[in-house]
Amino acid sequence: MKTAVVTGAAKPESIGHEVALRLQRDGMGVVVLDLYEEGFSSLSGCQCIKCDVSDFDSVQRIFSGLERVDVLVNCVGGSWEITKDDLRAGPRRGFLGLTNCSLEQWNTIRGANLDSVFYCCRAAAPLLKKQGGAIVNVASIAARKGIPPGAEGSSGPYAVAKAGVMGLTRQLALELGGFGVRVNCVAPGVIASGRLKKVLKFSGEQGPEGPLKQIPMGRVGTVAETAALIVALCSDDTSYMTGVTVDLNGASYAA
Amino acid sequence: MPLEDLKGKKALVTGAASGIGSAIVKRFRSEGVQVFATDIHQTGDLIVADLTDADHVEKLAAQVGTPDFVINVAGGPVAPSRSETLPALPKSSLLLEDIDELQWAAVIAANLTSAYLVCRQFAPRMKARKYGRIVNFASIAARRGSDRVGVHYAAAKGGVIALTKTLALELGPFGITANAIAPGFIRTPRIAEANWGNVTQDFIDSLPLRRAGRPEDIAGVVAMLCSEAGGYVSGATIDVNGGLYFGP
Repeated sequence: MKTAVVTGAAKPESIGHEVALRLQRDGMGVVVLDLYEEGFSSLSGCQCIKCDVSDFDSVQRIFSGLERVDVLVNCVGGSWEITKDDLRAGPRRGFLGLTNCSLEQWNTIRGANLDSVFYCCRAAAPLLKKQGGAIVNVASIAARKGIPPGAEGSSGPYAVAKAGVMGLTRQLALELGGFGVRVNCVAPGVIASGRLKKVLKFSGEQGPEGPLKQIPMGRVGTVAETAALIVALCSDDTSYMTGVTVDLNGASYAA
Repeated sequence: MPLEDLKGKKALVTGAASGIGSAIVKRFRSEGVQVFATDIHQTGDLIVADLTDADHVEKLAAQVGTPDFVINVAGGPVAPSRSETLPALPKSSLLLEDIDELQWAAVIAANLTSAYLVCRQFAPRMKARKYGRIVNFASIAARRGSDRVGVHYAAAKGGVIALTKTLALELGPFGITANAIAPGFIRTPRIAEANWGNVTQDFIDSLPLRRAGRPEDIAGVVAMLCSEAGGYVSGATIDVNGGLYFGP
């Protein structure tokens, strides 16, 4: 049975959750790696494993127990500090940029958003190389345009880590292409996930990137659209794409 | 597994006589999309039109009505004419000083003016419906510069990218997405015939995916952009080149 590993899929209303369900619907065996155990019951049929993907040894241990990986989707991440101790943390007041973040904040946010992707790709690569497959990473519009001073609900370290994810995607596309493994990335703008609800509740009518009216399409994206795009990047429809970042942001930023 | 949101839709595909356009028509039909196919070259049941001529585009619209998807494939490194509708492709790149102003104008018209005229004709119809998907065809020639065709083609395709980004901003409020696809080396029958730019096996082997693209590889991305997966993608240029070039 073809197997997909999806990280950051346990929270209902998250992009990863919808990706896991769709891959399962497509007939794949799905392994979910997440720290948010309360969400595991919403993923019946998936093999849910509690794992801190920002810890290298934990990731190595989990993957060494898997026999086959055809697809890896790295959804774990977050624009503010989410730690093992507080998985439900919301955004904090004030602008968090590179010039005022603490080293600890930098390490935590980079660890969750970039190191985790490196660790999972690194551990999955030998399994993916056996028969070929696809990796899809999740970057962000923040990687394209940064977070302007004064903006709340996102962070500078997040923007930098997500830009790192785009670079990682390109590098791995070169390293894995010869083994029939494609590596691509999506860069979502404002998506109506559970996390966005937290941000909107926090900041009133404004999204993390500013007023919604600045989006030419006049709406936020849906989790379903985002998951469908990620699943398409895992499928043969995109068989000649690798190293690509696909922006989905309602025309608010054209790279 | 079929993509969501395609079945029962209506598409216009230009440049549909062969290669990429023809593969898109096949893919759409397999997904249950009603397809109007057009080309300057007459073959099968497609509608013959010269899309560099606004009158032809208007007549085309009278036959097509309001499509859900407009896929502008028409174009190429050599401009077709009504007397030579499927010209042979060049076997090597043209230097700047080898391109005269007539060739320049013809290639700009075939690739850029045609996309503009088709969008101008069909976008207002889509706006009235508050729904639509436009996919234009750029090229790797516009992304990294062209060493296989020439400056006229690269400039025209660069224009297509700017046209597409602008349409995304302008048409976004009407629920219409506009995106471009920038194919790399796609082995279509015409390109294979021209042994384009004397492509060597070494070059193909050097690509990250170790193969040339197929028209079907492009048709899959078009289908993706028109499906649920493309619902929030707009203003993007999607590089489909096997990892040859990563874009900006």
